[in-house]
Amino acid sequence: MSAPPPVVELSRCEACRSPFLPTDGPCPRCGSSDVRPFSSPALGAVIASTELTTPAEGWPAPHRLALVEMPESVRLLAIVDGPLPVVGTIVSVRRDGAVYRARTEPGP
Amino acid sequence: MSVHVASVGMGRFGKRTEGQVDLAAEAAGLALEGVGRRPIDLLVAGSMLSHGPYGPEALLSRLAGRLGLESASGLRVDSASGTGAMAFHAAVIALESGRFERALVVATEKMTDRTTAENTRDLAASLHPSEVAAGATMPALAAIIAQRYLLRFDLSPTVLDVATVHAREMAVRNPCAQFQKPVTPEEVERSRLVALPLRLLHCSAMSDGACAVVIERGTGPATVMGLGQGFEALRIVDRPDLTTFAATRISATRAYENAKVTPKQVDVAEVHDAFSPFLFIHLEDLGFCDAGRAPDAFERGEVRPDGRIPVNPSGGVIGRGHPVAASGLAEIAEIALQLRGEADLHAIARAPKVGLAQAVSGLASHNLVTILGHEAP
Repeated sequence: MSAPPPVVELSRCEACRSPFLPTDGPCPRCGSSDVRPFSSPALGAVIASTELTTPAEGWPAPHRLALVEMPESVRLLAIVDGPLPVVGTIVSVRRDGAVYRARTEPGP
Repeated sequence: MSVHVASVGMGRFGKRTEGQVDLAAEAAGLALEGVGRRPIDLLVAGSMLSHGPYGPEALLSRLAGRLGLESASGLRVDSASGTGAMAFHAAVIALESGRFERALVVATEKMTDRTTAENTRDLAASLHPSEVAAGATMPALAAIIAQRYLLRFDLSPTVLDVATVHAREMAVRNPCAQFQKPVTPEEVERSRLVALPLRLLHCSAMSDGACAVVIERGTGPATVMGLGQGFEALRIVDRPDLTTFAATRISATRAYENAKVTPKQVDVAEVHDAFSPFLFIHLEDLGFCDAGRAPDAFERGEVRPDGRIPVNPSGGVIGRGHPVAASGLAEIAEIALQLRGEADLHAIARAPKVGLAQAVSGLASHNLVTILGHEAP
């Protein structure tokens, strides 16, 4: 039996129905606190990526980050594991404690 | 009630041996001399980075003591890289209330005695903690914004070099600027990568420096015509469009309405180019260029001192240097100098009547626009 496809948890505002990346505050669009989690497929498209040659203290160089667009246009900033993905690359995303990590999906 | 800039005090930006209170006192002294030491009843001061017991924690008391302002009221302001502009806005609002007559506004920063890692960490404090947790720094997020801008308008990364070349060319005319040598596009391209696609010369430098202005009730060549502020989501993932800064658009709309002028009536602008791509985004958000067309304005020379809309004749943040808290006030001070006919070597070609200064706090999460001019609205 194959494992269920991986998911990430996103949030939806019950007042304005906007989906967004979970936050410790209210809905970033309308300010409502009536927020529910929902599961989304853990695949997204890279819409920007960068490689820092001088990362913040405590991070190995180079440190790679990608801005990833998930289903319903929810965006997240992920640490890239592996080579820097170009814009348009499909990546799998997972939550790792307080951060997200992205890895390029093997091609078909 | 009208308020105008009565004098400007600028020290040299760059690597300085003095402490930040000394730098603030130097700039403040020049501004006070400029009004013949007329009495000051309000002192507004700001800085961003902490220096422990020798730092700005008691900035107001230290400055009041140094400047003989023991009977003035004090107001401390802190808004990251927008601190200086925020201090100016606070002072204007205080004078407009009728409670005060004349204010000294001072913003100061000392960065070169701290390590790059310390400065990077503390500047990132104005970003969202969840993004800092992923190792995001100010240049990292600026790089992501730059990439979105280049992609949306189908531009080559080398277009960013033009903004740096302009900044450095303008800075050479300004004796207070940190950088006194121009650079070529080739030199920009040869500078080391900081965060793809941004190279070192696309980024503002760590600097020491202070700026001060005296504002008073009444009118003059640099009368406050309009003020505007605006906010945008702190998390960049919550911003639907990274090729524009909503905080600038909101603050500009408010300031233009306030001043009763349109972008076409602005004769000179100082904008907060902490990173080269921001120069383009700011000019578009302020209504000087259509979306994606600011690079053309640079190519055509429209932003030069004799162009359609002279931009950053001081050298801007990239050319003048970026003692973070001081930059927002230095932008306003430059516009005041231009309007008052005191810009000397960095004066623009035609005497301006209306000027605009734009400041940015953090990664453009809270921006401020100030319009000064010959006439009260």
